[in-house]
Amino acid sequence: MIRIQHEDVDIGALITAAKQPGTGAVVVFDGIVRDDGITEMELEAYEDVAVPEMEKIARDATEQFHLQHVDIVHRIGRLSVGENILIIVVSAGHRPDAYAGSRYIIEEIKQSVPIWKKELTKDGGRWVPGEHGHGAGKHA
Amino acid sequence: MTVKVRFFARFRELLGTDLITNPNTGTTLLALVKELAGKKKEGYDAIFDEHGNFREFVILMRNGKRVELADAAAVAVADGDEIAVFPPVAGG
Repeated sequence: MIRIQHEDVDIGALITAAKQPGTGAVVVFDGIVRDDGITEMELEAYEDVAVPEMEKIARDATEQFHLQHVDIVHRIGRLSVGENILIIVVSAGHRPDAYAGSRYIIEEIKQSVPIWKKELTKDGGRWVPGEHGHGAGKHA
Repeated sequence: MTVKVRFFARFRELLGTDLITNPNTGTTLLALVKELAGKKKEGYDAIFDEHGNFREFVILMRNGKRVELADAAAVAVADGDEIAVFPPVAGG
């Protein structure tokens, strides 16, 4: 399941679905709204591009790290401190591939998927700067 | 012709989004974005530098594919195009 959605997700159900015949490891990444003195976080996506980009990242990760199953759920809208932002669940036969595949997916998402975060504070808000000088739509 | 322009994140706040435009044949990407952004100084200044060039961090897409900023002055928009303009991504 590769999705951008407002709703939270049942991580337990994703873990269950990730277990395939031959699975030896499931790795879950759960990115959370951190309490950096903010009241809420607002997330926005260019969904028409973001979803296909996440699908491509999942395909690449599956191929490179022999993953058996990949779920990526990125939430948008207004989220409170402590809420889930991004859930990545991967399974593989062995833990090195599961860890490496999960890490690859989150780093690629940060580089190339058109999603933005605004931290809302009592005084207004501030857009979180991208970690990379350039963003979405890396050249093919 | 009809071309949709979508701004995201800070650019959206400053300029709005899903703007439906009717540019003349031959209008370039640069000219189209400049015209729309030019309606609000703060929005224009966020996207263009003092020489009228795209700021180097701006990302430009045409129908979901990235366009090099240097090519924006040479690429003409076409009927039905969707143009997206946004700052560096920060998901995850």
